[in-house]
Amino acid sequence: MQEPVNEQDFSLKLDDLRPRAPEKKTLSGYFMPPRHSFILFDPEKCTGCGACEMICSTRNTEKVAPASASVKVVTDETQGKTFAILCQHCRKPLCLEACPTRAIEKGKDGIVRIDRLFCTDCGLCTMACPAAAPLKDPKTQAIHKCDLCEGDPLCVKHCPENALTFTRGKAFRWIKGLRWSVQLISFLLLVMVFVGTFCYFKAGEVTLACPTGTLQNIASSGAILLIGGITSALALLILTILAGRLFCGWVCPFGFVLDLVDKITPKKLGWPAFLKSRMTKYGVLAGAVGGSYALGFQAFCTICPIGTLCRSYGVQSFFKSAELAIVPALASLEIAQRRSWCRYFCPVGALLGLTATLRLIKIVIGAKKCKKFSCIQCAEVCPVGIIEADQLREGISPKIPMTECIMCMRCIDRCPYDAAKIRFRWQQAAPGEEKT
Amino acid sequence: MNHFQTFYNMKTGVVDLSARTAEVTPLDRERLPTCFGGAVVNRTLLKEYGDALVFGTGALTGSFAPASSLLVATFKSPLFDHVCHVPFMLRTGPDMKFSGLDFLVIKGAAPELSVLYVNQGIVNVIPSEHLRHLSVSDAVTALKRESLPVRSAILTGTAADRKIPHAAASVGVTGSLDKAGLASRMAAKNLKGIVFAGMGGLPFRKDHPDIGKALIQRISSGKHGKTGGFVSVLKGLDGGKEASKPLRGLTIKNMACYHCPSPCMSYVKFARHEPSLLLLDHEGWIALSRKVGEHVFPVYRSCLQGGLDPAGVAQRMPEGGGITEWLLDPEKMLPEAGKDRISMAPPEASDVAVKHHALFGGGIPPILPGDLWEKRVGLAMILGVCPLFLLRFPEITDMDLLRFISQDEVALSTLEENLTSLINAVAANG
Repeated sequence: MQEPVNEQDFSLKLDDLRPRAPEKKTLSGYFMPPRHSFILFDPEKCTGCGACEMICSTRNTEKVAPASASVKVVTDETQGKTFAILCQHCRKPLCLEACPTRAIEKGKDGIVRIDRLFCTDCGLCTMACPAAAPLKDPKTQAIHKCDLCEGDPLCVKHCPENALTFTRGKAFRWIKGLRWSVQLISFLLLVMVFVGTFCYFKAGEVTLACPTGTLQNIASSGAILLIGGITSALALLILTILAGRLFCGWVCPFGFVLDLVDKITPKKLGWPAFLKSRMTKYGVLAGAVGGSYALGFQAFCTICPIGTLCRSYGVQSFFKSAELAIVPALASLEIAQRRSWCRYFCPVGALLGLTATLRLIKIVIGAKKCKKFSCIQCAEVCPVGIIEADQLREGISPKIPMTECIMCMRCIDRCPYDAAKIRFRWQQAAPGEEKT
Repeated sequence: MNHFQTFYNMKTGVVDLSARTAEVTPLDRERLPTCFGGAVVNRTLLKEYGDALVFGTGALTGSFAPASSLLVATFKSPLFDHVCHVPFMLRTGPDMKFSGLDFLVIKGAAPELSVLYVNQGIVNVIPSEHLRHLSVSDAVTALKRESLPVRSAILTGTAADRKIPHAAASVGVTGSLDKAGLASRMAAKNLKGIVFAGMGGLPFRKDHPDIGKALIQRISSGKHGKTGGFVSVLKGLDGGKEASKPLRGLTIKNMACYHCPSPCMSYVKFARHEPSLLLLDHEGWIALSRKVGEHVFPVYRSCLQGGLDPAGVAQRMPEGGGITEWLLDPEKMLPEAGKDRISMAPPEASDVAVKHHALFGGGIPPILPGDLWEKRVGLAMILGVCPLFLLRFPEITDMDLLRFISQDEVALSTLEENLTSLINAVAANG
């Protein structure tokens, strides 16, 4: 009987040829991420002369051949607008994920490059890229893309209108660092140190109270008994009038928990369409007040995630209460959508949202200053999803509903064009539209 | 040493529409140092092939020279009854070179409506009867549907199909400065348009980008460097200030031709729900606004759609007459036999000779005084640089442009001598 031959697999696997470097995540890297080098395009300045295409092609083909350039100027004749298709060297490039041969890699300098040795010109990267930036040479059918001329882009130097600007991105996102610090300190103070003080706090003449709790208190007791409570609840409301829903984005301890959960569950399952109504939270607020009136006690406060977090997770009361289950249960909504609780259910947010109709400030994004075509980073980072990416793509400054905005300022922090700004509510012009 | 080889594909396409054949012949390289290219070579080819349409590029077309966008169409004008050189800008010139041809001779008449498709040095005659009676924009849309790579196209509209004498060839949907009846000549040859794929490239000398950049910087830092756009050019012309009034307060985006540092065209959105309009014909705009006043926008748009010369239309429209009625009855547009052959004379305030104005297509605005205007336009037509650009920036000298061709001082002086005599020859008899 013939012995079975030990079959050895000699076939090469992709990992043998081109192992993908594991992504290293460090805390310092989070607050000070690697510089994001890319080219800013100003559609207002661009005259469509094609100088960028010319000079770019000389690098690709050693000829003047605009059709083979890695930058493409497109003119929308009906709208009278120009766009430049060029690689944005994304932080998380979709082309890199899509490439079946791992020919695309992002260098330590942040530049996304195609390794011609491995590229099969299949074009999947072009399909994956939101800006369709990897372009196919019409003559050779080879895929090529901008590599920023290794950090010294020729197109930027030769643009006669200065419509292209090379940027190495922001070195430090100070808003991000500051927000996380404030959130952490608020969490520690409200949850760990001053346990339960968010709901009601009295020290001598100083009284602070949750405005939603105060409303429920008034409804349940049937009389305005806690004058001090009302005035202290006004403190948060006045802050909201002055600075919008800053509490939700910067102070709320449950918001901080949600942001942390979001970090560990970056992929979202989605939320059923019939539940996607931002009006629900106003219904919850009305229900909380009405329920308190009917039941004779502050009904919603017993299940309020902010209240339970502040009351039950402190040093004195840790693991002593059945309320403990509420926070993880409601925080798990984060798996479906970012800040789901804040978007659709939070009655505290609803009350602050109603107050925010009297706000003094607003966030504006000027479509004239923004890239419009493929950037939309502001819409991507907005945790409550109130920035309309389609409007930006059409060149319209989106109207941001400030009753929904939690003033986290991620859009301001992220925008590479300085198109997102805080303005007084009476200021009409968006960035880039000011009269000179 | 032949300095010109860098700038040309060294190919001429000769199309016989009646036989529907096209051949590509090598460009006579010995001829170039004495001819340079552009209008001079066009004229020679026209003499050689008789009753033909000749499209040609200049030496600098498609190069790093600023505003190197020119394509010259040379033919015997049915309106002026003499040879004319009509300039086409935007990207037509470079795209013809990048399609592999330097000159294109079209002779005979096609048995059915046709389109010439130029790609990689090959000319295809494509029967296109389905494009007959299509407006310019519809023809562009139909061509795009055919999945052919198209970077530039010179097309005629319904006006040419209906034998209206003031029909004008259009670059894409944006019109042109054709006021000499090129579209009528194309229609007579059953030619709907010429399409350039523009997929190839041209070699360049290593110092060209830097020479070009230095010239652009000189322009930008100069007196008129910061001004640009349709309105700024318009205001410098006779009657331009009045004609610019309908443009006040509108959203305007300035546009430039190939490698031009100073735009002279503008997209204008005159109504919120209307598509934008690219204005590039300054003289046409002035003539039309004089005639129809504030209604200039819809009339100008109708001219572009139908492939009509706005100046010619303005000349023939009666006071207060509607263009729609005129287009419905093209007989009204026909000139009376034996008289009124010149469609457009230069503005009265200018001393540019009528003959020269017509010689270069009748659409180049008289920005400079007569003699200088002729020399600058002649220079542009030979070298393949936008004539409007050279008129607007006289500080760019012949020698500045010749430095792209050669850096050798001895060769340069010879080239300059040749160029001067060629400019005079072109201005003298076309």
